[in-house]
Amino acid sequence: MTRLPEWLDPTPWLELAHTATPAQVRQALAGAEPGERELAALLSPAADAHLEELARRALSLTRRHFGRTVSLYAPLYLSNYCSGGCLYCGFAADRRTPRRRLEPAAVRQELAAMRAWGCQDVLLLTGERTAQAGLDYLAECVGIAAAVMPSVQVEVFPMPAADYRRLADQGCTGVTIYQETYDPARYDHFHRWGPKKDFAARLDAPARALAGGLRQVGLGALLGLSDPAFDMLALYRHLRHLRQRWWRAGVSLSFPRIRPQAGGFQAEFPVDDRFLARIIWAFRLCLPDVPLVLSTRESPAFRDGMAGVGINRMSVNSRTTVGGYAVAEGAAIGTGDAAAQFEVSDGRDAASFCAMLRARALEPVFKNADAAYREPVGAAAAS
Amino acid sequence: MAAIPANAPLPADPFRLGDVELPSRLILGTGKFSGVEAMLAAIQASGTGLVTVALRRFSRGPGAADDLLGPLATLPNVRLMPNTSGAMNAREAVRAAQLARELSGSRFVKVEIHPNPHHLLPDPLETYAAAAELAKDGFLVLPYIPADPVLARRLEDVGCAAVMPLGAPIGSGGGLTTRDMVRIMVRECSIPVIVDAGLRAPSEAALALELGCAAVLVNSAIAAADEPARMAQAFALGVQAGRLARRAGLMPQGAVGHAVATSPLTSFLGGTA
Repeated sequence: MTRLPEWLDPTPWLELAHTATPAQVRQALAGAEPGERELAALLSPAADAHLEELARRALSLTRRHFGRTVSLYAPLYLSNYCSGGCLYCGFAADRRTPRRRLEPAAVRQELAAMRAWGCQDVLLLTGERTAQAGLDYLAECVGIAAAVMPSVQVEVFPMPAADYRRLADQGCTGVTIYQETYDPARYDHFHRWGPKKDFAARLDAPARALAGGLRQVGLGALLGLSDPAFDMLALYRHLRHLRQRWWRAGVSLSFPRIRPQAGGFQAEFPVDDRFLARIIWAFRLCLPDVPLVLSTRESPAFRDGMAGVGINRMSVNSRTTVGGYAVAEGAAIGTGDAAAQFEVSDGRDAASFCAMLRARALEPVFKNADAAYREPVGAAAAS
Repeated sequence: MAAIPANAPLPADPFRLGDVELPSRLILGTGKFSGVEAMLAAIQASGTGLVTVALRRFSRGPGAADDLLGPLATLPNVRLMPNTSGAMNAREAVRAAQLARELSGSRFVKVEIHPNPHHLLPDPLETYAAAAELAKDGFLVLPYIPADPVLARRLEDVGCAAVMPLGAPIGSGGGLTTRDMVRIMVRECSIPVIVDAGLRAPSEAALALELGCAAVLVNSAIAAADEPARMAQAFALGVQAGRLARRAGLMPQGAVGHAVATSPLTSFLGGTA
């Protein structure tokens, strides 16, 4: 794909997002129903002067729609085998990272260790599809997880709708899939080979997941790869498109940014804390009812400040190595670990993270789903 | 008429849902609080005898910190009304209700089916189907519905214990935006009409009771207030004021202040009064 489809192309708003005047920013803040125009203005440098007001409004909207709660999940990396060649990724196929996958017994053990500290919402991750970690393996792991976790979602390689249906049948309810960047030329540059080079196939994956019976999709762009204004406006359009077509779908947004990792990739468009906070708050103003997610890629100070202020869902106590909860892989957490996909910046355990939330009058919610009454996907599709 | 001394106790005014009598016309939701203590404090301050709790917030593992069922079960004089929030259709809601009845021992169920997880508006078709089935199965069914008087009557006909029209979308704090529809529902239903969702201020709860609603269900407005327990108390007073006003009989509206035509419309009839 060299040109974006019209429904996705943010070009009409790009100039505003780069050069909004203070008056245009004030107008955006005064809008009764903030939409794309307002998002563009709030992404512009002129909006930085209004950061405190943005934060205040993000807090009110988050509290109104999600209450004083933060929903928590944790990732479990099943495998770091990968066929992809993402320039920025510690697990890319040409890195000398040792490769392994968790066998079913080890998956059970990891999940039991996660349950022991309270986790009831797990995100299973793999790399791009490989013989070692393909659909059969993934479906088996989803089934194992669904037997012990009320909520199981995946962040894995894109697949056809029928394959997503297989995951749904095993108890998976959602998929997270970041487009990384919505700029086709830059996408092509970063994804050097393999199936991930297919921009369009990845772009359409959330829709295929919903067609396959999954209920939630998580979208995002990896901040740092391209012009953040372009990517964030396209992200907004991607979400809007999905919600129009799939009116029952839950769509959430994450805001990952490039962190130091194996391979030493440096972001060309670094996004600092102040800008990242503004991006998140601008989205909260324009999409008050959409879950906004923040991971442990971010520092404790940043996460503490964002919890309940725009952000209503967070990962906790994360390992970004394969496994790592039951069996620590080397120094599984913290700096300098070559076996991690990216560095975890917030290494606090669940108890201290929850204590921080409570000190901010926020309730940590581990369980906010129940599989006990959920229908098999085939039945739901028939209604 | 006998004199009413200041601070006299309010007249007896039982509120029944099915065969159950409740001490208060305020029903509380249990989500969105900053923690279990804040939730319990608000429930106690409200004087409510009925709270709703989502089955998906029951933690069946031992000692889970975010479980809501355990702490609620310790409250004396407060009945639980599990809700089916999270169910996508009637079949899921029925299963959720049955499971919740087993776990909580309560016959109450709030049927809540909102397939769109963003605006959380109720699906009338699925809600109707689930409510009909659960009522037949012996539940005290309180369906959360759009403010549609015809749907409300249909739900009464299949045996619901009450209907719960929304005042505005959940969590919006929009107030009683559906008042005209709610007024019709009150006139036409013989089961209680309970406004659920959208209220922001105790004055809006008072308004719902003044219009003849039997009760209100409030969650966000209390949980998201600066002081939830105080706000719960305020809602309790709003509900009492509204109910008392309803029973006392509001003065007729629009009966005074109309301009009087210079030539009376009845002059052609001749004669004098």
